[in-house]
Amino acid sequence: MRILRWLPGRLFSAVIVLLGASLLIFAAGRSLPGDYANTVLGPLSSEEARVELRESFGFDRSLPEQYVLWLRNALEGDFGLSLASQRPVREEIASRLPITALLAAMGMVLTIAIGVPLGVYAGCHVADGRRSAATRIVSTIGISLPEFVVGSVVVFLFSHFDFGLTVGTFVSPAEDFGAGIVSLLLPALVMAIPCIAATARATRNAVIDVLVEPHIAAAIARGETPGFIIRHHVLRNALIPVLTLTAIIMAYLLGGAIIVERVFNVPGLGSYLVLALGRRDYPVIQAVVLLTTAIFVLMSLLVDILTGIIDPRVAVTKAGPGA
Amino acid sequence: MSPIIDIENVTIEYPGNGARVLALDGATLRVDAGETVGLVGESGSGKTTLGLLAGRLLPRSARVTGGQLRIDGQDVLALDDQRLRALRRECLGYIPQDPVAALDPTMRIGRQLELVLHGLPSDTASLRHHLDSVQISEPDRVLRLFPHEISGGMAQRVMIAMAMARTPRLLVADEPTASLDSHVRTEVTKLIFNLAAKAGATVLWLSHDLRSVSRWCERVVVMYGGKVMEDGPAAQVLRHPTHPYTIALAASDPARAEPGQRIGTRPFDPAASGTEMPSAKLAVGGGR
Amino acid sequence: MTALTPMARRRGPVARAWAYVASFDGFTRAAIYVLAALIIAALLGSWFGLGGSPTDIVGRRLQPPSLAFPVGTDNLGRSVLPRLLAGVTTTLLLSAAAVVLAALIATISGIMAGYYGGRIGGTIMRIGDILCAFPAIVLAILVAAVVGPGSIAALASIVLVTVPLMTRMVGQAARQVAQREFITSAIISGVGTRTLMIRHILPNVAGTIAIQGTYALSVAILVEGGLSFLGYGVQVPHASLGLLVQEGAVYMVKAPWLILAPGAILVIAILAINLIGDSLRDRFDPREARSLT
Repeated sequence: MRILRWLPGRLFSAVIVLLGASLLIFAAGRSLPGDYANTVLGPLSSEEARVELRESFGFDRSLPEQYVLWLRNALEGDFGLSLASQRPVREEIASRLPITALLAAMGMVLTIAIGVPLGVYAGCHVADGRRSAATRIVSTIGISLPEFVVGSVVVFLFSHFDFGLTVGTFVSPAEDFGAGIVSLLLPALVMAIPCIAATARATRNAVIDVLVEPHIAAAIARGETPGFIIRHHVLRNALIPVLTLTAIIMAYLLGGAIIVERVFNVPGLGSYLVLALGRRDYPVIQAVVLLTTAIFVLMSLLVDILTGIIDPRVAVTKAGPGA
Repeated sequence: MSPIIDIENVTIEYPGNGARVLALDGATLRVDAGETVGLVGESGSGKTTLGLLAGRLLPRSARVTGGQLRIDGQDVLALDDQRLRALRRECLGYIPQDPVAALDPTMRIGRQLELVLHGLPSDTASLRHHLDSVQISEPDRVLRLFPHEISGGMAQRVMIAMAMARTPRLLVADEPTASLDSHVRTEVTKLIFNLAAKAGATVLWLSHDLRSVSRWCERVVVMYGGKVMEDGPAAQVLRHPTHPYTIALAASDPARAEPGQRIGTRPFDPAASGTEMPSAKLAVGGGR
Repeated sequence: MTALTPMARRRGPVARAWAYVASFDGFTRAAIYVLAALIIAALLGSWFGLGGSPTDIVGRRLQPPSLAFPVGTDNLGRSVLPRLLAGVTTTLLLSAAAVVLAALIATISGIMAGYYGGRIGGTIMRIGDILCAFPAIVLAILVAAVVGPGSIAALASIVLVTVPLMTRMVGQAARQVAQREFITSAIISGVGTRTLMIRHILPNVAGTIAIQGTYALSVAILVEGGLSFLGYGVQVPHASLGLLVQEGAVYMVKAPWLILAPGAILVIAILAINLIGDSLRDRFDPREARSLT
């Protein structure tokens, strides 16, 4: 397999990046003020209980040991106890992660389902200057719409006027999948708008670049129809730069979910993180940040593998995610 | 029998910087079926434009402002899109200058050949047969390779196989060996002419190398400034060029120069002959 | 850069700046004017008190826009216009300061990475990759958790978010320049490394820095806005565009102007910056360059 030539190197760099990120998160957690046992058990707790707690979390050991312990526990899904609720962080994450994952996935589906066809259409119909100027301004406006502004305006519009959809009322997809999807539709769309615009623009540019390649001219000279050429040659080639962008979009959606969940009252990982930040609930912050980062790094790895499958010329080990 | 190429006084304009640029300026060319014609001229002479014109493959900015054009009896300029595609598919075969770039970089050779053959048998045996016919020695291995993994000579053989797959009546080859290593040029050239002869196809060979063209083609047409300057049997044009431009072209052939002799670079003055063209360096024989 | 005619060379800096602006297309010129107007209005507001005081309670609560209060009043009865101008000032100043800092870091580390390559370059790029592994807002939240909510958190987040990409782009550009012949001949003729970097490489990557800096500015406004919107960026009684959007969201139904005004200004500012960035990119990095692979 061709992939085996570069995959090990790419895997290695993903592991390095994840280790580096986890070290950063660990360092951030340890640099925070306050004694963990004191915060968890409260000022009235006995000294023995505190010592016991510190030992159980390994705080009495050296920092490198603590890091290894923390990372090993995290790999097993044990993120410690939440300071605020005194319950395992893992439980809360287990109930919230699927919601955020669904939200981000919906954002991704919307981005690709709308952005790619728009871009292909625009790329294949590069007409007069006025129309391409309109394309440029529309896509730039799309990219310039932050989700916290659009989200707030959407909430205002939907609560002020009756569009048949209610906002801010979350239905758990675990209970009613259909209704859950519907309740996540607006938040997903709001955070997908800049991604749709960016994808459409990248697709358009990629299509334009592919259309001037000699192999397209050769296909035209062979008498192939435009539909055939787009299906078999343009899409495949134009997909390569667009795929690279999807890794960046993934990061944007994971971040955007935090804001959108706040705006639309969605009980996902993002609102958990914001809540934890307000309560200075460090184990939760560490856990959620680590998890988000890991998801993103794995997704970029996946994107790179897909790119490698579509583009046989990929032979170099691409360093890092979102490259 | 009607001629396969019948170009009558065609003029083609490109919008240039400020002024229009004439790519063809009243070019006339008539080629009978089965002929092998070498179209010689430097870059900018209009030979590539003429080659593309045969399949109406000119860039969108080009405008045909005069003249008549029939390919295989059909008025190419008046065809609707569907008929035009049928003409390109069934009647024409193009062999490109840079074969590696003319292959889709994301697709294996086998899959590309399969796509070209749609409508014709495209099982593995047929694919292998098509590669055999262009003298590719390990067809099974090549079918599984991607374009960036094969040599230019190999890629050109694949392009030839693709062009010949539908037995075209007119084969247009635009300097098909210019980007190849010198040791495979002769083989590839021989292959094209042999296959064309076997299929009874007309060959329109575009080149700036008068000498090598006259070795392979029966007839040589010399273009300059969008006009046909000289047209006749290869041997005659090479040995007794009548037009001053052809004389210059024949004289600048490095193969003819004595050791130590300075190679002439176009003592021909276009202003004197009434043609207006941006001055371009005369390409010296033997390719780049 | 555009070649200046001898005539343009003799004109003053203002005339030359004007000529440079005039050389852009209509959209970009409009974007430059809008951004300039926004900056001037913000400066007038914060230095000369245009529109009144941003902190004084001047009227009844949640008044709709009127002659006295062009953008209405907020939930405490403060006039929104001066608060908006103060918010624009904070957001732009904070973002610009952060981007300048980020550009400085990215230029130094990018040129080093591009020039030295090898282990030094690899290490710099790897650190950038690690920072890139965090989604922007996630990184900002982590920063806010460590340094505490406030302007410093916003500033540090912007720097950490924008530095990696800028470093990578500057590094790539510097690498290309470092491989050119004039660098080799400069090395042969004994030019010192620092001189080489400052006199020969820096001018050739300046375009990349300008493009990336412009895009970083729009990212900066987004990050500041997002963090302040979540309540962990700029804190009251100060004002920033993100904070004003968050405040406005509470009174959205009763007083939509409270959210629409800062939201619109935020979008317009980002839009203008992105348009300028696109034009700069088209100018320094024309499309042909991209097909050279």
